[in-house]
Amino acid sequence: MTERGGLTKEEVRDLFHRYHAAQDEDDRTRLRERLVDQYIGLVEFLARRFRNRGEPLEDLVQVGTIGLLKAIERFDLDREVEFSTYATPTVVGELKRHFRDKGWAVRVPRRLQELHLELTKIVSKLGQDLGRAPTVPEIAKEASISEEQVLEGLEIAQAYNFTSLDAPIDADNGDSTSFADQMGGEDEQLETLEYRASLAPEMAKLPERERHILYLRFYKGMTQSEIADRLGISQMHVSRLLNRTLVRLRHALEE
Amino acid sequence: METVKVAIPAAPRYVQVVRLIAAGLASRLGFTLDEIDDLKIAVDELAAYLTGTQGRDGTLDIVFGVAGQRITIDGTAHLSIGDGVRTDLTDFSRMILDTVADEASLTEDGGKPSFHLVKSRGS
Repeated sequence: MTERGGLTKEEVRDLFHRYHAAQDEDDRTRLRERLVDQYIGLVEFLARRFRNRGEPLEDLVQVGTIGLLKAIERFDLDREVEFSTYATPTVVGELKRHFRDKGWAVRVPRRLQELHLELTKIVSKLGQDLGRAPTVPEIAKEASISEEQVLEGLEIAQAYNFTSLDAPIDADNGDSTSFADQMGGEDEQLETLEYRASLAPEMAKLPERERHILYLRFYKGMTQSEIADRLGISQMHVSRLLNRTLVRLRHALEE
Repeated sequence: METVKVAIPAAPRYVQVVRLIAAGLASRLGFTLDEIDDLKIAVDELAAYLTGTQGRDGTLDIVFGVAGQRITIDGTAHLSIGDGVRTDLTDFSRMILDTVADEASLTEDGGKPSFHLVKSRGS
């Protein structure tokens, strides 16, 4: 019997053995990528279950992949379960957390969720066509809606930030090392940034992806569109993560 | 220069209104989405010094100026508390603002904490 990604169970077991035994960072990265390839179908399958909630599927797959990476990191071959069985709750948990963090499903009217989804697609398409971030009139024309509606739709993405602030800041940074590895670890240079000492612990607590976006935007000076391309997520998703991270750091600094 | 003025309660949830107005004006000037997002980040960053994260008792007067391809935003806080508002930017804020704005400063103008922000199209 073969697993979804084409490898047999035995080959998958072997891959996990080699992954957990590997010391060399390049080996680990390479083996992890093979495991991700093997199970990305599972992530896509699970992400599709959430696709009617006003988020682009590609972003959901990205979120689900974080769950997959956590599961790969934690999976113990001694457990008598298939990896896919083991990983499913982790991936679903990550997707649910994504929505819960935003308070999105309950707080944002359906009409605006759909508008937001539509805008995300159009911004991505125009960005590729134009080779730069689009302007509001360009987006409005493409979407056949008014510029005011575009502005409203863009701001919606940030609105939940205010509601989610009351939620406790999750500190599961121990899980996110896998993401750091995947990113190549270059944002370790973020450590060299001159920031207030009181901010350092909070910076360390940030999810790896958020730290990486912070690094690419403010240290490397990449635009949000460039970061979106680089990470394979939408510009609006980058915008949202960046805003959320800055709000969170601002809170940390004040406390 | 043409101006737009607004006064809001000194609370983060009203700063969102300022973000929307800033975005609306920037959009008229032909700012790209990235530039508009940058402007919003700058507004948030500076306004946060005046409102705190929980909001403060008082109001913010915001004046938007539009000239050519340039937008300026000046904010002045009228707060019931006279002190306790820091008006020196952290290094981290400085780094953010240097990235997203052409000019950004925080001052204490006659006892009133204020910010000044400038961003041009294509910058």
